[in-house]
Amino acid sequence: MSLEKADALVIRQADFSESSRVVTFFSREFGKFAALAKGAKRLKGPFDAALDLLSTCRVVFIRKSSGTLNLLTEARLTQRFTPQNSGTPGSLNSVYGGYYVAELLNGLTEDFDPAPEVFDLSVATLNSLSAVDSQFPSIIIHFQISLLQLIGLLPNLFECSVCGESVDQNGGYAHWVSQGGLLCLACRREEYSGASISAGSIEVLRRMTQGSSELISRVKLSRQQAEECQKLAVSAITQAMGRRPSTLRYIQF
Amino acid sequence: METQEHPYGKAVATLIEEFGHLPGIGRKSAERLANHILSCTLAEANALADAIRNVKTSVKRCSMCFNLTEDTLCRICRDPRRDQHVVCVVEQPKDVVALESSGAFSGLYHVLGGRIAPLEGVGPEDLTIHQLVHRIRKQGITELVMATNPTLEGDGTALYITNLLQNDKVRITRLARGIASGSVLEFANREMLADALRGRQQF
Repeated sequence: MSLEKADALVIRQADFSESSRVVTFFSREFGKFAALAKGAKRLKGPFDAALDLLSTCRVVFIRKSSGTLNLLTEARLTQRFTPQNSGTPGSLNSVYGGYYVAELLNGLTEDFDPAPEVFDLSVATLNSLSAVDSQFPSIIIHFQISLLQLIGLLPNLFECSVCGESVDQNGGYAHWVSQGGLLCLACRREEYSGASISAGSIEVLRRMTQGSSELISRVKLSRQQAEECQKLAVSAITQAMGRRPSTLRYIQF
Repeated sequence: METQEHPYGKAVATLIEEFGHLPGIGRKSAERLANHILSCTLAEANALADAIRNVKTSVKRCSMCFNLTEDTLCRICRDPRRDQHVVCVVEQPKDVVALESSGAFSGLYHVLGGRIAPLEGVGPEDLTIHQLVHRIRKQGITELVMATNPTLEGDGTALYITNLLQNDKVRITRLARGIASGSVLEFANREMLADALRGRQQF
């Protein structure tokens, strides 16, 4: 049992009792962890309204070693997630984008597996979702692709998984979901290939893995590029999670 | 809990187990409540049992606002003195109780039955949003006061409803947020002060 401090993002909340909650965090120092926040629903308390969903806060918690629930003792709000253009129809998409970030963090990471890059990516993505006039599809595709890359599940975007030929700028490809790679037209087989993707969209995805959230959030993709990139990212995420993320049905591209 | 092995016997063990299902009641408290039932008179125990049975058989949702009631319409919807053109949207019946205790609202209510929470699998179709929209269009509601909780999910729910009604002639307002009356600025937290500054009004 030890007292720990962390910068953390609230990714899930569940009522525990009349005034207490179990809060799941994704922190820079410890990765994902859940903690019991006694009196979290009360206005006055040690958490000071810091535990709203997608809020970033500085937390202090008692880490239990015996597999029992950790105990949150303090939380100070660092930043609240405020959806883009709050009050306009587009801001609802921004809210759902935030939920999607939380769902992927919860579904694709393990307890107490530190991944500071994933924490920074998530915070940057939420900031982009809050920014005025940012490009929603680019933000979401960038988050998915970067997350897959950081957890080591990004499909190979450089060559055909069967013949090994490099991606040709004029070629057409298919996503081989189960093998985490691409198939060129010559190697494509209907029985194991997924959605089609053009070389142009593959190039977009490759560049996304190298750019920052802030930079990417200003890039406007064509409709075809956005759809192809999103299909590939969602297929890879569905494969990794073992189910299709439930928040996806709310997001409009 | 192994009901067969309980020192008080099976009936008491079952009672303790049932009390233990109540919110905020742990094993010790459940045992204390069971001991109280054992020590009270049969009439008192029956009165408690009848009260529980009655509440489950007679209480239902108001057909208009979905608040709890024993009749078709709740007390508030039946009251002709209330402003029939202003509706306050809340998440749960207990929010109606809280707002009524303020004595500051004289309109009607609409209970959504929760908030849109995709991470918990709660979507708009699980709430009474469709009935709210129907009610606004049918009853000539002029103002909708969004009183969902001031959280991301509460705000998201209010935003969803606002988007649905963007082409309707209804004024949509949100509960103010910020510093509580009688408090001191020095001890207000950063978010409260920011909310209060954003929502400042003409003096």
